[in-house]
Amino acid sequence: MSTVTRQSSELTSDCVNPVLNATKSVFEAMLGCTPVRTGIALKEDTQPRYEISAVIGVTGRAVGTIALSLKASTSIEILYRLLGIRAEEINAEVCDAVGELTNIIVGSTKAKMEELQLSISIPSIITSKGHNLHYPSKVQPICIEFDSEIGPFAIEVGFASNE
Amino acid sequence: MKVLIVDDSGTMRTIQRRCLNMLGITEVAEAEDGVQALDIFERANFDIILSDWNMPNMDGLTLLKEIRQRDANIPVIMITTEAERARVVTAIQAGVSDYLIKPFTPDVLKEKMERWVTIPS
Repeated sequence: MSTVTRQSSELTSDCVNPVLNATKSVFEAMLGCTPVRTGIALKEDTQPRYEISAVIGVTGRAVGTIALSLKASTSIEILYRLLGIRAEEINAEVCDAVGELTNIIVGSTKAKMEELQLSISIPSIITSKGHNLHYPSKVQPICIEFDSEIGPFAIEVGFASNE
Repeated sequence: MKVLIVDDSGTMRTIQRRCLNMLGITEVAEAEDGVQALDIFERANFDIILSDWNMPNMDGLTLLKEIRQRDANIPVIMITTEAERARVVTAIQAGVSDYLIKPFTPDVLKEKMERWVTIPS
């Protein structure tokens, strides 16, 4: 492993606990359920675990991406838990709800990494099956898997130094 | 009591509107970004503004500065994920009245608002 990739892996690893804590507290506060971590692994391919991705770019003393990966059914349940609206399929309301949930998780994560002086992008939602998420070549993303009352989901995190 | 909610997420605007409705506040206008908010603000009188920070077109900090050029006194509460001390200080320097970190509960929103306006019982 090169020095650059090792630095990237260390930065990405540093994000894991903040992501775990933020995910747990935001799910509990906003959705009324406690997610349980079921796995964590370095990511070797570009396909997210599930068909819906909410992606937020992060810049500052580090650059990176945090993506929430969800089943369609979990995404629909998020809208229901937030607003009491039952969607039949993935629509703009579902995407907005998933985007806002991701925004709050990533915001809470970056607040726990204050020394990196991070700014976050507006969330982008990708809803096609079989889509790919590409990280810069020097970034080795980590995938954290969760299970919850509203279904399984995963969070991908990949960071590199920007200095 | 008239409130302007500014947030690019329709989900968050609905959550805030429902919180306000629970407090008996029904005169609520919504804007999706700072540009829209400034336009609405210039055409109507509000008692308080609840604004997100990260939004397209015009962010909440720029909106806050624009509002302060027009009205030094209207309460503006920033409701945001921007929880770092440096961000809070920046917002205070720009004239924010209060600061609320997402996620929040209706009780905390009420408590923050009551510091600035009288909520009808």
